Amino acid sequence: MTKYIMKRFLIMIATVLIIATLTFFLMHAIPGSPLNQERGTNAAVQANLEAHYHLDEPLFVQYLIYLKSIATLDFGPSIKHPTETVNDLLGRGFPISFELGIVTVLVALISGIILGVLAALKHNGIIDYLAMTLAVLGISIPNFVLATLLIQKLAVDWEIFPAATWSSPTHMVLPTLALATGPMAIIARLTRSSMLEVLTQDYIKTAKAKGLKPYKIIFKHALKNALMPVVTILGTLLAGILTGTFVIEKIFAIPGMGRYFIEGINQRDYPLIMGTTVFYSFFLVFMLFLVDIAYGLLDPRIKMHTKEGE
Amino acid sequence: MKKWLTMFLAVMVAVVLSACTTSGSSGSDEEKEGGGEASGEEKVLKLNNGTEPTSLDPPIGFDSYSWNVLNNLMEGMTRLDESHEPAAATAEKWEISEDGKVYTFHIREDANWSNGDPVTAGDFEFAWKRLLDPETASPAAFLGYFIEGGEAYNTGEGTRDDVMVEAVDEKTLKVTLKAPTGYFLNVISNPAFFPINEKVQKENEEWYAEADTFVGNGPFKIAEWKHDSKLVMEKNDEYWDAETVKLDKVEWAMVNDTNTEYQMYESGDLDTSGIPSEMAEQLLDNENVVIEDQAGTYFYRFNVNKEPFTNEKIRKAFAMAVNQQDIVDYVTKNKEEPAYGFVSYGFTDPAGNDFREQNGKLVEHNPEKAKQLLEEGMKEEGYEELPPVTLTYNTSDSHKAIAETIQNMYKENLGIDITLENTEWNVFLQDQKDLKHQLSRSSFLADYADPINFLESFTTNSSMNRTGWSNEQYDKLIAKAKNEADEEKRFEYMYEAEKILFEEMPIFPIHFYNQVVLQKDKVENIVRHPVGYLELKWADIKQ
Repeated sequence: MTKYIMKRFLIMIATVLIIATLTFFLMHAIPGSPLNQERGTNAAVQANLEAHYHLDEPLFVQYLIYLKSIATLDFGPSIKHPTETVNDLLGRGFPISFELGIVTVLVALISGIILGVLAALKHNGIIDYLAMTLAVLGISIPNFVLATLLIQKLAVDWEIFPAATWSSPTHMVLPTLALATGPMAIIARLTRSSMLEVLTQDYIKTAKAKGLKPYKIIFKHALKNALMPVVTILGTLLAGILTGTFVIEKIFAIPGMGRYFIEGINQRDYPLIMGTTVFYSFFLVFMLFLVDIAYGLLDPRIKMHTKEGE
Repeated sequence: MKKWLTMFLAVMVAVVLSACTTSGSSGSDEEKEGGGEASGEEKVLKLNNGTEPTSLDPPIGFDSYSWNVLNNLMEGMTRLDESHEPAAATAEKWEISEDGKVYTFHIREDANWSNGDPVTAGDFEFAWKRLLDPETASPAAFLGYFIEGGEAYNTGEGTRDDVMVEAVDEKTLKVTLKAPTGYFLNVISNPAFFPINEKVQKENEEWYAEADTFVGNGPFKIAEWKHDSKLVMEKNDEYWDAETVKLDKVEWAMVNDTNTEYQMYESGDLDTSGIPSEMAEQLLDNENVVIEDQAGTYFYRFNVNKEPFTNEKIRKAFAMAVNQQDIVDYVTKNKEEPAYGFVSYGFTDPAGNDFREQNGKLVEHNPEKAKQLLEEGMKEEGYEELPPVTLTYNTSDSHKAIAETIQNMYKENLGIDITLENTEWNVFLQDQKDLKHQLSRSSFLADYADPINFLESFTTNSSMNRTGWSNEQYDKLIAKAKNEADEEKRFEYMYEAEKILFEEMPIFPIHFYNQVVLQKDKVENIVRHPVGYLELKWADIKQ
C-alpha cells in the first residue's frame, strides 16, 4: 500500500509539472499582453512597466523565472492587482471558496443520497417520480438562472435572505442552494440507479432471508455498494466546487477565488494564470488520488486488484 | 418496517430544511435591527465600486475603480468643484508667472494628514517625483511630462534632481512646466498627483495596502477594509474642510454583476445602482435616474493603409451612411448624445462657447451624398467592385448590436454587404494596435478635462492613433496648441485640428459616453465628474 501511494504521489507531481509547462507556453501563445489597454499609452511608460514585470526578458528566461516561482511556491505580484501578490489573492480567496464548497458538497451529498435512496425504495411510486422530477429540474436548470431566481424571490420579494455579499452565515444560504442543486440531482440519480441494481442482487436476498431488519439491509449492505459510482464522481466534483465557481461567486459577489481563473486569462495576468492553474491542477490531482484510496477502503475487491497490479 | 424507514428519512429532510430556514431568518432579523439603528443615528451612504480598487497607491491605481475611493480619501493641490472646474483644495492659493510656466502653490496652514501630521510642500515634491520615477512604473507617469524634466527622468535620460518641482519652504511648492499649460490645474486634480506622506512611506512602503496603515488627507479616511468584499470610509476629522462633509460613513460593496447590483439596490442594500441593459427601457423613465456626462467618445476607426479605406471619399461615404441618432434611440437606448465630432460636450472656450457647439457637426448622416461619394471614390481607385470589408469588434452584446446595425445601414444606404467579425478583448486590442483591422470599434475616455487630450490621440506617433493616418498640418496644430499660453489662440488651433481630422475622416464617431445611475431619493449631491471620478465631499442623506 505505501509503495502504491508513493508511486501515485510521484505521478501526481509529474502531472502538475506537465500541466504547468503547457500552461506557460499556451498563455504566451495567446495574442495580447497584460499591459494592453484601450487608452493610449506612452512608449516610455510602457517600457517601464514591462521591465517591472520582467516582460522584456526572452521567453526562455521568463520560463526559468516561472519554474523558480513554482518550486518556491511564490508566484510574485499580480499584474492587474499590482499591490498584492498572487499568493495573497489565493490565500484570501481559497478559504472562502472552500467554506462555500464544503457546505455545498455536504448539502448535495446528504440530500442527493436521501432522494436517491427514497426513489429506489419506492421504485415507480409517487416519491420516485417526485424525486426524479426534482433531479431532472436540478440538472436542467443552470445554476446562474437558479441563482437570479433565488435572489429575486427570497431576497428582493420576500426579504428572507440577503441578496449578495459575504459576511454572515445567512449570506451562505442562497449561494449554497444555487450551487448544490446540480450536484444533488446528479448524486440522486446515480444513487437511485445503482441502488436499484444492488437491491436485486443475491446477497440482498440472502440478507432478507436471514431475517435482517430492512434499515440494516439498506444501510449496511445495499448503500455501501451503491455509493461506489458516487465516490467516483466526487473527486472531480469536490475539486471543482472547492476551488470556486466563477459564475455563482460573481452573481453573489463572493470574494472567492473562482473569478481569478477567468480574470487572469482575460487580462493575460501571467502570474495569476500561473498561480491559479498550478493550484487547481494540484488540487484536482490530489482529490483524484484521495478517491483512489477511498475506493480501496470501500471495496475489498479493488484493494486486492491494486495489490496484484503492483 | 419500510414505512418506518421512509418516515425516518422524511423527518431527517424536514430537520435539515428547518435548520436552514430558522438559522437563516433569525440571522437576517438581527441584521435588519442593527442596520435600522445605525441609519437613525448616523448618515451612511451605501455604494458599489464593482470590484476591489486596483491599488490605493496614488500613482499606481490609474482607473475609476481606484479613483472612486481614492478621490475621497485624499486631496491634491486642487479639487474639481460641483461644476467640474479645479478649485483650491490643499493649496489655498497659487500664483502663475507671466509666461504661464511657473506655478507657485501655497498650502493651507490647517491641511493635515489623517494621522495628525501637517501636509507639507515636501510631501508633494516627494509624491510627484515618485510618480515620475521609472522604478515606480506608474501607468500615469505621462501626466507628469508637463513638468520640466519629468519626461527625461521617466525615460531614464535625466535624474530625479532634474525634475523641476521644488519645496521652497514647508508650505510653498514651486513647479516649472515645459510649456504654458492652461489646464495644468485640472490635470493635478487627478489622483496621480495626490501628495504622499513621506515619513509614512519611509516607515512602511506598503502603507496604502491596509486600512490601519493608510494615511490620507481627504474628506474621508478608511475605517475598515475587507479586501475584495467591503471598504468602509468614515469622516476624517483632521480634514481642513471637515465642516462641509455631511456623511458619517460610506460603505463600498464590491459587486461585479449589474443584475445583482440592481437587486441589492431594490432590497435596500445599496443606495445607487447601474441599470441592467435588459431593463433599461423600463427603468430609464423612472424619476430616480440620474444622467451625467462622461468625457469620452464611442467611435469607429478606419485603417487608412488597407483598401478600400485608403481612399478618403470611400471613408467619408462609410461615415455618412451611419445614422448616429438611430443608434442612440433604438440600439443603445441609454440616453447618450449622438456624436458628430470627436471632442465631447462640456469644454468651454475663452469666449464662453462650448467646444462641441462652436465647432459644429463635422460629419452628417446623408445617405444620398454617401452614395455619391462612394461612386466617386470607386472611380478614383478604378474599382469595378468594392474590395470586401470586414468590421471587427470585441466580443460583447452591446458592441455586437451596434455593429449589426451599422452593417444593416451600409446595406440599406450604400448597397454594400460587409462581414462582421468579433474577437476576444485582448486579441482585439493587439490586432488594432498592429493595424490588422479594416474597420474596427473603438472608444476613448479622457484622462483629464481638456479637448487637447482627445485630439492628441491622432497625432502621427500616438499609441492611440491606430489608424495609420498621419497629417503634418494636424501634428503641427496639436504641437502649437500644447505650447500656446494664449487660450484664445489655443482653442483656434484645436478647432482647426478637429476640422482637419474630419476632412480626412480616419475615424467616425457614434456617441458620447454618459453615466446613468439609479439613485435613492434620500441621496443628495453626489458629484460625478466627466473625467471619471466620484466626489462625495458634498454628498448628503436626507432623513
